[in-house]
Amino acid sequence: MKNKVLSVLLASAMVLSVVACGSSEGGSAPAAETPAADTQAPAAEAPAAETPAEPAAEATSSELTDGKFAETRQITVEIYDRGNDGGSDPENNMYTEYIKKGMLEEHNVEVTFKKVPRWTEVDDINNLLAAQEAPDICVTYSYPTVLTYAQMGGVIDLSEMIETYKGDLTNLWTWLGDTNMLWDKDPKTGTVWALEGKRAEQQRIVTFVRKDWLDKLGLSVPTTTQEFEDMLIAFRDNADTLLGSDASKMVPFSASYDIGWRASNIITSYMDPNITDKEYYINGFDDRMVTQASTKEAVRLLNKWYNAGLMWKDFVLYGSGDTTEDDMIKAGYVGAFQHNWDYVFRNGEDSINANLKRNVGEDAVFIPVDCFKNSAGKYSKWLYSSAGDRKIFFPTTNDEPLASLLYLDFISKPETIKYLQAGDEGVTHEVLDSGAIQIIAATGDAIQNSGKNIDYTITCNGTYFGDEALAALSLAYGYAEADPELVDQANKIAMADGLEPKNVNVGEITAEAGVGDTLSAKRDQIYDNAVVASEADFDSVWDSYLADYLSSGGQAIIDERAEKWAEYFGDADMLP
Amino acid sequence: MGKKSQTSSGNSKSFGVYMKRYWQLYAMLFLPLLYLTIFKYAPMVYVQIAFKKYSLVKSIWELPLADNHGFEFFIKAFKNNDFKYALRNTLTLNLLDLLFGFPAPIIFALILNELCFKHYKKVVQTIAYMPHFLSWVIIYSLALQLLAPTDGLVNMVISKMGFDPIPFLNDGKHWIGSYIGFGIWQNFGWGSIVYLAAIAGINPELYEAASVDGAGRFRKMWHITLPGIKPTIVVLLIMSLGNILGGGFDRPFAFQNNLVMRVADVIATFVYRVGIKGLQFSLTTAVGLFQSVVGIFFLLMANFISRKLGERGIW
Repeated sequence: MKNKVLSVLLASAMVLSVVACGSSEGGSAPAAETPAADTQAPAAEAPAAETPAEPAAEATSSELTDGKFAETRQITVEIYDRGNDGGSDPENNMYTEYIKKGMLEEHNVEVTFKKVPRWTEVDDINNLLAAQEAPDICVTYSYPTVLTYAQMGGVIDLSEMIETYKGDLTNLWTWLGDTNMLWDKDPKTGTVWALEGKRAEQQRIVTFVRKDWLDKLGLSVPTTTQEFEDMLIAFRDNADTLLGSDASKMVPFSASYDIGWRASNIITSYMDPNITDKEYYINGFDDRMVTQASTKEAVRLLNKWYNAGLMWKDFVLYGSGDTTEDDMIKAGYVGAFQHNWDYVFRNGEDSINANLKRNVGEDAVFIPVDCFKNSAGKYSKWLYSSAGDRKIFFPTTNDEPLASLLYLDFISKPETIKYLQAGDEGVTHEVLDSGAIQIIAATGDAIQNSGKNIDYTITCNGTYFGDEALAALSLAYGYAEADPELVDQANKIAMADGLEPKNVNVGEITAEAGVGDTLSAKRDQIYDNAVVASEADFDSVWDSYLADYLSSGGQAIIDERAEKWAEYFGDADMLP
Repeated sequence: MGKKSQTSSGNSKSFGVYMKRYWQLYAMLFLPLLYLTIFKYAPMVYVQIAFKKYSLVKSIWELPLADNHGFEFFIKAFKNNDFKYALRNTLTLNLLDLLFGFPAPIIFALILNELCFKHYKKVVQTIAYMPHFLSWVIIYSLALQLLAPTDGLVNMVISKMGFDPIPFLNDGKHWIGSYIGFGIWQNFGWGSIVYLAAIAGINPELYEAASVDGAGRFRKMWHITLPGIKPTIVVLLIMSLGNILGGGFDRPFAFQNNLVMRVADVIATFVYRVGIKGLQFSLTTAVGLFQSVVGIFFLLMANFISRKLGERGIW
């Protein structure tokens, strides 16, 4: 009897739970599916469809009074999660509070942040978009991703809204200017799928070398490629002197799987100094220059170094975001590497140079050097374009495009940028006698997870402080715990003989949609396999992987770019 | 279940009596059935994406048919070099898994069955299960710590002995070996449970009779244990064959690196990269559908052959 009662109880409990599951399932299923089909599409079209006919003032007055909504609106904003050791919560800290408060006071908009892992941002935002759960304001470095979604009808065309509400978006228009606002405007259809953030700093990649090792071996700072190579060989041959019992861990030149980035100074130095705009543009889909004619010879040099034991053997095995290599650099096993111009200064006490000082000794330090001359005798390197940085777009699931634009306006205000970058005096910065802002190490909520808080100032990348003169004065003081002189040196080297990319706006290149990820993965495969090939196999490995890249969509892009160039610029080799 | 369904197929009166008696069991079965319906059958509606031009914002019923009578994406897939590599690699890796990975738990179960010390047997068994509970991400981290060319423990020992390091993870051929090896390591203990259960079900009198007849260990193993677990082996083999184009995602994904992609990219990772990351949903749904159809074909064939050979098959 007891058994029977028990089994009846169990069975009915199960049925009940099933019914409960079923009903919640039934309840959520339509909600999950329909936004794409029904509710969102009109929301996306509404502003575009309604507003163009009406004059700006009328359209705005219907929704906004003094820039404020009558009823509180809600928006979600993407924020990068860098997973820093001991960083602040990216969704909830001193800076998010400032933004939330400001947005509510000025526009009656409630802001929620949604974190996305920085190093896999494209993957993650793709997944969120596909799941219809993307934040209202999305930001990415990859325009092809935006374009792919736009072609599916998943992105809001901002062209009309930004004109209609120009009066309410003065900060945004002033800061970004026509250049960045309309950077992605299609020359034929006039669509604007994304607004381009502005780069306040253009420095890109610099080579770093262990100064204390140079001193120990009595070497001078290298100034040519040959001297750099000789230095690496000296590091390798003197591993015992430099590292003692850790000699087997010596890595003279370190790079990651992303060779195109981590050897950029070398690759660029091989490029023809007289390369035409046309040539560069046609092969310019990939910013790692893999299809540029000169790149193969640059990689041949790396291949020689790899086979001579000058590079880390395991570099390919660690993926994006892995800290193994950084840990090696911090532990003091690495002699030289190339990376972002401020890489060794980032993250205050956890910066590479601060770690070296702690782990190795007072004099252990990475200094920036400039030694890769091109055939014209210049230390050419690519800079960032001042425009065309992070792409900000609204997915069609965003039913508050106006509130979202007001958000962009708010964070483009000089005061907002200044607060987000500099924080509070005494907490995150001090003001020096010269008036320059010196960033100091912050704790807890005030920690900036990204340098200059660029993850929050999505329309502004780099030191600005709301004032260009102040920014220039303060640049060298932007890194807590870092030697301002070294920062200044790195800045100068990064800008020396810099090449500024040009915007070739010929509208959509349809071949580029949907292949970005595949081709970047293949590009890394070309680089990695070519670097580790035996010297005898180098040519065949490079050629076979490159052929695979081209046949997987690379060639189609090159052809379409060539066609578009001819259509817009005819036979000209240079941009007008 | 077989017996029950025979009785239930009787007349309606006995069906009512039967249901009254066993309704709890059916109520309990309801949950798994619901799970299958919601998570396995309902999503099948979306198979039509393979034949249509996908768009995020349209309902799937409104999507326009793809070119070539809807077969555009199948044609595209078979023109895609990466898909061909992925297909080849999936087959190679799964066949090697089958060749080396399938007999491993059987052999292990047979060996374990011969152990006399009960406690020792339990300990060995438990240790052998353990790796099954590790995720592939963790296993790959272990693999890196052990097998990386310069920092890996194994290669450090090899280098100290004066040999060149072995590129376990960064050379195609060696990588396949490591991949299969870790697969076997992770699964043989867990896989042996089913066989041990089958062995436990063999009538002990058979062994006693064989001993009386003078059969040694190997004779008994060959003539009693193996035939005793043959039906289990066949059923599991059929299921493995049905999965010949399938296979998990996390194992190859965790083990891949840029140097071995030509042998390591399988259909699951191809679909993830091109479909989800590259947003080509139609193309990869077509690939997935193709994969399933081939899987069913293998399953049916294996079942057919096993029935021809006088085994029970899976239904």
